Amino acid sequence: MKKSKGMRTETLYKIFIYVTLIALVITILIPVAWVFLASIKENKEFYGSPWTLPDGFYFQNFVEAFVDAKMGDYLLNSVIVTGLSLLILLVVALPSAYVLSRFEFRGRSLLNSFVKAGLFINVSYIAVPIFLMLLDWDSVLKVMFGDGMLLNNRFILATIYASTALPFTIFLLSSYFQTLPSDFEEAASIDGAGYYKTMISIMFPIAMPSIVIVILFNFLLFWNEYILALTLMPGDNKTLPVGLLNLMAAERAAVNYGPMYAGMVIVMLPTLILYILVQKRLTQGMTVGGVKG
Amino acid sequence: MKMKKYLLALSLGLILVLAACGGSSDDSKKDDGDKDSSSGDKEVTLHLAALESAYGADVWKNIIKAYEGINENVTVDLTIAKNLEEVIRPEMQAGNYPDIFMLATSREEALTETLIKENGVENLSDVLTMTVPGEEVQVQDKLLDGFTDTLATNPYDDGEMYLAPMFYSPTGLFYNAALFEEKGWEVPTTWDEMWELGEKADKEGIALFTYPIAGYFDTLIGSLLYASGGPELFTSAMTYEEGAWQTDEAKRVLETVEKLSEYTHPNTVANANPNDFTKNQQLVLDNEALFMPNGSWVVDEMKEAPRADGFEWGMTAVPAFEEGGDQYAFTFFEQIWIPKEAENIDAAKEFISFLYSDEASDIFLEAGAVQPIEGNVDKLDEQKKLFYGIYEEGALPAMGTFASTDPVPGASISDELYGKVDSIMSGKLTVEGWQKAIQEVSDKLRPAMK
Amino acid sequence: MSKKRSRNIFIAICVSPAVILFTLFMVLPTIEVFRMSLYNWGGFSKTKEFVGFNNFKLLWNDMNFIQSFQNSVLLIVLVAIITIIFAVFFAAVLTKEKVVGGNFFRVIFYIPNILSIVVIAGIFSAVYDAKSGLLNSVFGVLKLDTFKQMWLGNQDIIIYSIAGALIWQAIGYYMVMYMSSMASIPESYYEAASLEGAGKFKQFTSITLPLIWNNIRTTLTFYIISTINLSFLLVKAMTGGGPDGSTEVFLSYMYSQAYGNSTYGYGMAIGVVVFTFSFALAAIVSRITKRDVLEY
Repeated sequence: MKKSKGMRTETLYKIFIYVTLIALVITILIPVAWVFLASIKENKEFYGSPWTLPDGFYFQNFVEAFVDAKMGDYLLNSVIVTGLSLLILLVVALPSAYVLSRFEFRGRSLLNSFVKAGLFINVSYIAVPIFLMLLDWDSVLKVMFGDGMLLNNRFILATIYASTALPFTIFLLSSYFQTLPSDFEEAASIDGAGYYKTMISIMFPIAMPSIVIVILFNFLLFWNEYILALTLMPGDNKTLPVGLLNLMAAERAAVNYGPMYAGMVIVMLPTLILYILVQKRLTQGMTVGGVKG
Repeated sequence: MKMKKYLLALSLGLILVLAACGGSSDDSKKDDGDKDSSSGDKEVTLHLAALESAYGADVWKNIIKAYEGINENVTVDLTIAKNLEEVIRPEMQAGNYPDIFMLATSREEALTETLIKENGVENLSDVLTMTVPGEEVQVQDKLLDGFTDTLATNPYDDGEMYLAPMFYSPTGLFYNAALFEEKGWEVPTTWDEMWELGEKADKEGIALFTYPIAGYFDTLIGSLLYASGGPELFTSAMTYEEGAWQTDEAKRVLETVEKLSEYTHPNTVANANPNDFTKNQQLVLDNEALFMPNGSWVVDEMKEAPRADGFEWGMTAVPAFEEGGDQYAFTFFEQIWIPKEAENIDAAKEFISFLYSDEASDIFLEAGAVQPIEGNVDKLDEQKKLFYGIYEEGALPAMGTFASTDPVPGASISDELYGKVDSIMSGKLTVEGWQKAIQEVSDKLRPAMK
Repeated sequence: MSKKRSRNIFIAICVSPAVILFTLFMVLPTIEVFRMSLYNWGGFSKTKEFVGFNNFKLLWNDMNFIQSFQNSVLLIVLVAIITIIFAVFFAAVLTKEKVVGGNFFRVIFYIPNILSIVVIAGIFSAVYDAKSGLLNSVFGVLKLDTFKQMWLGNQDIIIYSIAGALIWQAIGYYMVMYMSSMASIPESYYEAASLEGAGKFKQFTSITLPLIWNNIRTTLTFYIISTINLSFLLVKAMTGGGPDGSTEVFLSYMYSQAYGNSTYGYGMAIGVVVFTFSFALAAIVSRITKRDVLEY
């Protein structure tokens, strides 16, 4: 009797869990499917209820987005800028996170608090100061070399992306390094490995799970960023999110909804694919402020 | 490579500016149809920054082609974008100003207003007396009356034109003419008739009123101020005169808006945002609401939207307060202007004068952009003629905007006067509270006026 | 001596690139923001007027700023608390219960976080639509007409509608964070507790929660930062701050002042306040949530 009652609450509990889980899945899948369906709708279908199914597969939207709005060209640019930024970020952030978390030295706590404070700096208010600063440097370069090259430069944009992502990335990586026992370095030291070798061939591979996380998080950040891209790349080398703005409504003009949603899908797809590729590693790498194992 | 070209343009521009300075002001007056005289034999590259609006991007490319055709020394570089402010602002902060701006006031980003506030706009009064290239007439002879003597073109109220009027659209209350015919309703000419119609429509389950977003009240309240207290009231409100909003005439305007809230479609406020405002316009197309304040652009804006059977656009001026009183239709227009920091001011002025030529205005008309030029209305199609002809049917034109002030932190008249309409509609705010808010912000802005 | 020296060189080589980039592109621009907040400047003219702390004094009396402040704080608190409850619950369920298709749920839950904010604005405008919105349609089908609302029109509700979208977006992200620290709690703890007769809820409050507490504390900082940032982007795309300023948040007000109102210096003063406030708030929250770290 008693046991069966326990069973009953157990089943009820299970049912409750599944219901909530499935409810959340539905609230996520429906809207996401909605975006994909919207991208193949014809313009006139957008004025009624937003929940009707598309009348057909209107592929013209994607053609318009790719060709007329140049999303194809911008895609390549976005890939280059995002890739470069991630590379710079990892090269700069990994060693410093490692040192900041596992070495005692003077100024360490100062640097750590700088990293923490850096978390609170928002790109939306430093974009213009950064632009003006680059401009000053450009004019110096012009005097020295007869040409400025800091604006409309994918490499510079990537460097700045990497810089703005440093606090969060170092913070994340340090938390991971901190959880590792000190045996690793001791063993390496006995084997006669130097600092550099220890760091590169022992510590970095161990940190792989959290490196994957860093790549995923920052990929999303860089891929969707547009304030800096807009300010620092006024030329033709636009990135995808900036290009997407061109598909948005013009003043007092009819909105071209179809290509707009097609553009959104074009921006969204790479992030979805990357996420599905790396999601298995996701839970392994995130131990921010986590328990020590 | 691009950079080099740019540098070349820059240095050329510099030379031109120096030359212009040396030649003093006589240069612009010498201009009498012979294009080469003012720009000299030097090659000029003009940089035109234009907002990509309903008329599309191609219209400017065609204009430039036409101008370069008659003026071989000039090349025009075009920056056209829907988010022009965001694109161009950094360049300007860096000191690289475009020579010409096609960008109106009353935009969210208010770049034009900022330049006006900072005295960064070139005086264009002499453009009016320039001869239109390829024609025998002066610019001022082609322009319709009244377009160059309001605060929208003369922001400092000193008789000098700083912003040239380019495209205009009459605004008013838009409705479904077919529905009125079907029901046998008359389009109201006074507010009393309006409220009567509101009751009648309510019985049929139709709301009297809706509006796209609160910002559209700039033209509606403008017309109401004119109708209530004439140009004097409008001017005193726009110049933040003390007590302007305490007058009975002004209060009547605010109370009318409040009364409208009783007849406003319940979904309106929920949709009155930049993402959803077309849903409010859709209410009129679906016969769910009778009137909305709008401009003639709404026809193209909603051209693909589904609509009630037999739907037919109609537009009327804002009703009068008394029987036989004045009815006004506010004219919305977009301005073109030259920043003071521009490098090729004279060449830019000449370019602007060309925009009023028959050749240019035909190109604009083709794209649906109507300039306030004599005879333009006759060239329009029937539907457009209906809107642009509103002034011939007795409606009085209303124009203008707020007087320019020095920037005052935290004080925005349009937020208080138009933004608060949402709160009036939802009943969160009373007329007294609204009046007080407008008065307070006017008090802050008055001492900062130029 | 030489070992110490080579150690120092190693440290310097590792740290200096980050320090240089950080100083150039984060510290210097931030100092510039602080400096500009002391000026009256429209944004373009060559005349910048030094006004000391006047911009900050004006802020103190600016009702619109205070409203945006309240909205931001409300959003931070709401989003943090509700997201934590959901995220911890789902994390616990997915790590501790043997859920069929657990991996599937984990993959799906994270998706909102990778959508761009423009897409989210589009989605939620369709969800909240007064006439044909998902939410009102569901209530209509369930005959719960009293729950139907003007989700984006009622000024008392709209800020919660915004919070809803932000929470929806955040749950998966934080869930994954909590899952990883839950996964590292040894199973033996739960077995021991189970033998002592502790129920699921008891196990959760006495084992799981204390052991992931530090993790939750750290994420509180993230909630503050990301809510300030994302609420701005969402509001800009979805409501434009309206109706009548009822969804105006920190950064949207900063933008409208720095650009729309031609008071760049004033906008930067708002930026300074936002930076200082979020930093201080994070420090305070971190202080008051401090518990003795449970080691195992």
